[in-house]
Amino acid sequence: MKIAQIKILIIATVFAWSILGSCKPKSADSAVSGDAAEKVYVAPGKYDEFYNFVSGGFSGQMSVYGIPSARLLRVIPVFSVDPEKGYGYSEETKPMLNTSHGFVPWDDLHHVQLSKTNGEVDGKWLFGNANNTPRVARIDLTTFRTKEIIELPNSGGNHSSPFITENTEYVVAGTRFSIPPDDADGDVPISSYKQNFKGTLSFISVGKEEGNMDIAFQIQCPGVNFDLSRAGKGVSHGWFFFSCYNTELANTLLEVNASQRDKDFIMAINWKKAEEYMKAGKGRKQSVKYAHNIYDDKTHSATSTIRTEVTVLDSKVLKDLCYFIPCPKSPHGCDVDPSGQYIVGSGKLAALIPVFSFDKIRKAIANKAFDGEFEGIPVIKYEEALFGEVKKPGLGPLHTEFDGKGNAYTSMFVSSEIVKWSIKDLKVLDRVPTYYSVGHLSIPGGDTKSPNSKYLIAYNKITKDRYLPTGPELSQSAQLYDISGDKMKMILDFPTIGEPHYAQACAADLIKSKSLKLFKIEENMHPYVAKGEKETKVVRKGNRVDVYMTEIRSHLTPDNIEGIKVGDEVYFHVTNLEQDWDVPHGFAVKGASNAELLIMPGETQTLKWIPERVGISPMYCTDFCSALHQEMSGYVRVSPAGSSVPISFGTGKTNPEEPTPATTK
Amino acid sequence: MNASRLSSLVRLLVILCAILLLIVLVVPLWRIDLDAPQYPEGLRLLIYPHKLAGNVDIINGLNHYIGMKTLHSDDFIEFKLLPYIIGFFAAFCLLVSAIGKRILLNILLIVFFCFGVISMIDFWKWEYDYGHNLNPEAAIIVPGMAYQPPLIGFKQLLNFGAYSIPDIGGWLFIAVGIILSLCVFLEYRRHKKIKAGAIPLLLLTVSVFGSCNVEPEQIKVGKDVCQYCNMTISDVRFGAEAITKKGKIYMYDELHCILSDIHQKSIDVNEIKDIYVSDFCGKHDLIAVNNAFCLYSEALKSPMGGNVAAFSNEDSLHAYSELLDGNRTSWKEMSK
Repeated sequence: MKIAQIKILIIATVFAWSILGSCKPKSADSAVSGDAAEKVYVAPGKYDEFYNFVSGGFSGQMSVYGIPSARLLRVIPVFSVDPEKGYGYSEETKPMLNTSHGFVPWDDLHHVQLSKTNGEVDGKWLFGNANNTPRVARIDLTTFRTKEIIELPNSGGNHSSPFITENTEYVVAGTRFSIPPDDADGDVPISSYKQNFKGTLSFISVGKEEGNMDIAFQIQCPGVNFDLSRAGKGVSHGWFFFSCYNTELANTLLEVNASQRDKDFIMAINWKKAEEYMKAGKGRKQSVKYAHNIYDDKTHSATSTIRTEVTVLDSKVLKDLCYFIPCPKSPHGCDVDPSGQYIVGSGKLAALIPVFSFDKIRKAIANKAFDGEFEGIPVIKYEEALFGEVKKPGLGPLHTEFDGKGNAYTSMFVSSEIVKWSIKDLKVLDRVPTYYSVGHLSIPGGDTKSPNSKYLIAYNKITKDRYLPTGPELSQSAQLYDISGDKMKMILDFPTIGEPHYAQACAADLIKSKSLKLFKIEENMHPYVAKGEKETKVVRKGNRVDVYMTEIRSHLTPDNIEGIKVGDEVYFHVTNLEQDWDVPHGFAVKGASNAELLIMPGETQTLKWIPERVGISPMYCTDFCSALHQEMSGYVRVSPAGSSVPISFGTGKTNPEEPTPATTK
Repeated sequence: MNASRLSSLVRLLVILCAILLLIVLVVPLWRIDLDAPQYPEGLRLLIYPHKLAGNVDIINGLNHYIGMKTLHSDDFIEFKLLPYIIGFFAAFCLLVSAIGKRILLNILLIVFFCFGVISMIDFWKWEYDYGHNLNPEAAIIVPGMAYQPPLIGFKQLLNFGAYSIPDIGGWLFIAVGIILSLCVFLEYRRHKKIKAGAIPLLLLTVSVFGSCNVEPEQIKVGKDVCQYCNMTISDVRFGAEAITKKGKIYMYDELHCILSDIHQKSIDVNEIKDIYVSDFCGKHDLIAVNNAFCLYSEALKSPMGGNVAAFSNEDSLHAYSELLDGNRTSWKEMSK
């Protein structure tokens, strides 16, 4: 009897356990569709379809990936020094990182914008923002190098940046941190935030041909934090939309204090009106200091100038310029659909996605359907501007891109997924998980008039177990999705450099054919160029020594230099004489507290060295250029400070040349 | 053998319970597993009798966004009391085993179950407060949302799936409850010689405490024992049964024995809910005594001399009263 009872007891327990056990839902498998490998395999010798330009975030650089293979093609140094390329180390590139605060070797590159013509990507330039020392950079897509950097006055934090109008009329930046304007007394208590701290939007004009940037005007705004932005297009061309949070105007514990109000704003700016005001002289000229740095491909040098004036329009005073549209809970993304009609706000703490209609906004403005003012700027009634809300899409919407087929894709940070929804009827169509916690998305052309609806890339903030572990610090993860069908399918998972915040992609064909192979030596206008070995020399002027050096497979000219003294300022101006494809040369010298030079064919770059000890310093080419690369080296003799050893230099001779009297002291 | 003394098997089982309870003191009682897409490794909250453990810090860090209070072992008076209460039960078990009185065992079981129920109610109340009493200044406020973790089982809370289930200690605690119930049942069965047969133990465990609607059990002649005189019930025509308010069933040779038991105060008349008596004729089904038609006749020669027969209908009564020369009576009259 007892045995029977015990048996029953065991059966009953097991039964109960299995019921409770089956209550727990099984976690979803990260299943990849069967043909994923085919979709992402780019065979050896073949090219990817798209260039994907990805911001490096805290690395300060811009990376270039091929899509769909996710091959890392290049890391372009923009705001951070790159010793590998000598960026920020060579005399020619140091001025690029000059600011009104001096030389700043690092910054935080958040967002990327490709230049546009008629609302489409034109493959000419790429813009990136610096968040810490507010700046905008322009990268030339023929050389994939940073061409120009302009600093922004009156700005603290430059998050809502850079965003481009339909025809690259303007690149627009907005401040993340409001601060007292540059020409006001900044020595105020932080608690006087509400009175003294202002936000600033900068409209940078871009030259049609050369792309040169200039701050056309700034708009002074209330002290909210500007988060993201989009230019209107099509019907809404002429307007710009910024998402703002911290309308609570808090200056401390923003985590709590900036999350209190139920609705923050999207600010709509009529920039055509701003242009009118500028023409009418309504802007206030402000005395400021900001750097403008430009790199010339002919002289292979950057020049940095400090500009001292900017014109500011006051949003509090000038009417019909700015309008606030209420948007739930600390909006992050503010994205305009391909037609320019719909503006999607993503409130990162909201449980819905509001979609505004441009026509309704215009009507509301015309009818003065306002709900009072905020800091002098009219607030449009929410319902008057609203087209509709996507209900319960997920948790923590951040950013939306479009596929041109009437669908929108929104990233959900908290629920770690991407949600596809239809704009017309605001219904959720599909959702896929991301691994993990997606920030921004990128669809090639996703912010243009005609997006390419094949791929979507999710850039995530949490990696954890996606790849082989590499200690406590892991690279950020990204996933590639095929969105050509009704349902989204993940096809690739790859790590990225730095921390991507945003990316833009461009059809490979737009850039491929224009990509520069080498610099023509005859066009080289560098002040210290040596266009042939006959032009090489070493020249002393006081304690400055200029070495005009050339590199060609496989020797340096000159490769034996004597007469350098301790304490001299020695400049090695190295010209790569090659005119062949993909034959760069490098240069380094022992004892220089500096990086290397990496010089492309036809280019000249300068490395500065102040020798601090007596002896022989070897120098050599650091880039494997030829079969006899190992032999591409030389020596520098450094004599004591007061020494009378004359300058002498040469290559291939056992006895050095005697210098001509005029060049020595 | 004194029927109120516990058998050796039961004593051993009770000691086993004491040991299990001591183990409960050092292993986790309960666990809440949290599952979210960005937590592939999973998060776990462990509740020991004396503290919280597991990923408490991470959970606190996450929950502050939605305004839930941070969890600290020190804030819970339960963690100070539980170890003592569990220790008390372990000691109580040992005491019951040593003294060996059946009544102590029954008390132990009842108090133990009450404690179990009170604990679950306390847990639920804490979970309610934890999930509803939110900081109004929290960063993420989803209108109408509360984050009460499930009492037991699964519940989706925003992006987290919460799964609440007993851990080792909890299962041991439940096992102790089952073993104690088994002990009480064994004692009961031994005392009453009732065949459990194929009745699932769990059902009986349920029926032992708090069961309100107990059906009268068929008296098994030759097997069941008279509560009053301890002799095997021999005559199927006279058998009677008393059911207490607590659902305990006492069998008797005849109605007279019930009266004797009441008179002797072996059974508290106020505790009796129902009395049933066998139908003298027919299939001898049990009839509620107040619905029975009774006949007193010395010619009946009942086992214990009560000489009362019960009938389910009046016609049978009349038939037999003519046959046997007896007087009609009733339970009311007999009880005087």
